[in-house]
Amino acid sequence: MNLFQAITSALDNSLAKDPTAVIFGEDVAFGGVFRCTVGLRDKYGKDRVFNTPLCEQGIVGFGIGIAVTGATAIAEIQFADYIFPAFDQIVNEAAKYRYRSGDLFNCGSLTIRAPWGCVGHGALYHSQCPEAFFAHCPGIKVVIPRSPFQAKGLLLSCIEDKNPCIFFEPKILYRAAVEQVPVEPYNIPLSQAEVIQEGSDVTLVAWGTQVHVIREVASMAREKLGVSCEVIDLRTIVPWDVDTVCKEECFLHLEAPISRVCGYDTPFPHIFEPFYIPDKWKCYDALRKMINY
Amino acid sequence: MLTAAGSSVGRGPVGRALRSFSQAATFAIKPCDLYRLEQGPPSSVELSREDALRYYRSMQTVRRMELKADQLYKQKFIRGFCHLCDGQEACCVGLEAGIAPEDHVITSYRAHGVGFARGLSVRAILAELTGRRGGCAQGKGGSMHMYAPRFYGGNGIVGAQVPLGAGVALACKYLGSGAVCLTLYGDGAANQGQIAEAYNMAALWKLPCVFVCENNRYGMGTSAERAAATTEYYTRAHFLPGLRVDGMDVLCVREATRFAAQHCRSGRGPLLLELQTYRYHGHSMSDPGVSYRSREEVKAMRSKSDPIMLLQERMVSSELSSVEELKEINAEVKKEVEEAAQFATSDAEPSLDVLGHHIYSSTPPFEVRGANQWIKFKSIS
Repeated sequence: MNLFQAITSALDNSLAKDPTAVIFGEDVAFGGVFRCTVGLRDKYGKDRVFNTPLCEQGIVGFGIGIAVTGATAIAEIQFADYIFPAFDQIVNEAAKYRYRSGDLFNCGSLTIRAPWGCVGHGALYHSQCPEAFFAHCPGIKVVIPRSPFQAKGLLLSCIEDKNPCIFFEPKILYRAAVEQVPVEPYNIPLSQAEVIQEGSDVTLVAWGTQVHVIREVASMAREKLGVSCEVIDLRTIVPWDVDTVCKEECFLHLEAPISRVCGYDTPFPHIFEPFYIPDKWKCYDALRKMINY
Repeated sequence: MLTAAGSSVGRGPVGRALRSFSQAATFAIKPCDLYRLEQGPPSSVELSREDALRYYRSMQTVRRMELKADQLYKQKFIRGFCHLCDGQEACCVGLEAGIAPEDHVITSYRAHGVGFARGLSVRAILAELTGRRGGCAQGKGGSMHMYAPRFYGGNGIVGAQVPLGAGVALACKYLGSGAVCLTLYGDGAANQGQIAEAYNMAALWKLPCVFVCENNRYGMGTSAERAAATTEYYTRAHFLPGLRVDGMDVLCVREATRFAAQHCRSGRGPLLLELQTYRYHGHSMSDPGVSYRSREEVKAMRSKSDPIMLLQERMVSSELSSVEELKEINAEVKKEVEEAAQFATSDAEPSLDVLGHHIYSSTPPFEVRGANQWIKFKSIS
């Protein structure tokens, strides 16, 4: 299955197992702009898979309401770039519901899905990675998969998790990434990073599409510099797996300052995208400078 | 219904006898549906030969420019997102015809036609689409972000431009300029919450803002009936007056716009215009446009309601122009668009150091962090 098919499979499993589960968002009925919901309306009916008008704040607010009554709400925001009208609902309502009601109420059965990340031609408003805005908000979970197999397991965990979750799907991988994915449901635990390659000299941490970039950088480092890299996929951005990434006193033992490789401090550009993104050469360059520190 | 009000010798092709054309003609236009208004725009209008030729040329230029953009996109000179407005030419040309150059306009991402009407050249628009230095935003904005004096774009986030438009209107009122702001949005955007906020503020403070809903019946792939509890978009701000206008007739649009602008200028506050129009292309170049509507529907609109065809028939039947003269204009427009496309595909791309410019305004240029801490760019503005 490719990534969007893995998502469809997870949603299919959820709707089959949980009679209260509903999927809604802009254009999800015909299958969605990235085909993640193809076939679900025919299979489960139009009262379980339905379109909303064009109103992100309304979509999330509405989803919180469904979740508060105990039903499972799976909301789709068409692109992560459009999540900002809903930011208030997510941060001020969804994240704080359990806390402010003294555990009397919660919207834990809410999951928000959104296509995420650069795609080669998306420009300012179809390429953003807004997870950092949500990383400072206690009460929600933010999860980003790197592959179809990871996506299905993580999405099922988000839907079943008793906390509101945001699930960002790397849109560039929707068709490009293909893997063997079980048709039956399975879970991958949240808040657990995965060490996908062991190493002893440098630790490389990434999530989503970037995991594949640093994996390549790790093999470049081994071939050209004889450096052994540990590659970690963070998977859950918040609450994140601190223990896997750094032991308590690790900062005292580092031989070089930590390097952060990311997009530029500019809005996501139109024509300059190939220069903006932290590709393997920029990551490799940073690694080389660290080794020679 | 027409009367020839005087005639004069018209320009004819070289070598043939000169034609004489009418200077003006009167036409009956479809009356608007009114909401909270006693009277609407006139239903009988005079069109001068000069205006007719100008509207024809503008609409034809927008049409050709959009079709050229389609071609360039398929040839991969234009990448990314590209939302074309062919079919909606009467809206952008008619709106501009109803206001003055000192008035202000803001719209959504389907902005090429409106940008042209506001004064951007075809060259600047096509070069912006291909991301070159000669583009109207120096290649940094692309299809959705085109700007010109008193034209505030060009906005990617649906509905976000409407509170901005109300703000521009506030500035017009505050500065006493007598100008109005046309704030455009679509039938899909009409369901965004922030538009209701803008209606409320504009009404409360009597801002000279004309809210223009370009209803082309589909919000991307969802028909208006399936997205809106009421599709009478001109009544949506239930406390504001509204007009529903035939958006395929440039004269209807012009008269309604004039009426609306006059209403605002006289201090009576904002109002809504709903232009009923249609787009031939899909939502964007990634959308074939036939999975949610039938090819027959698109064909029927093209053959019965095409705005350029409607104007042409009027001009020829009332002798404001002739088929030959209009053909000449078509040829000139075609040449202009071809030359613009040539420029757009051959001009240089912006240089890489421009990447960091114009983030902030700051007197000493500051350094912009790149992909890692050792890559730095200068931000100059």
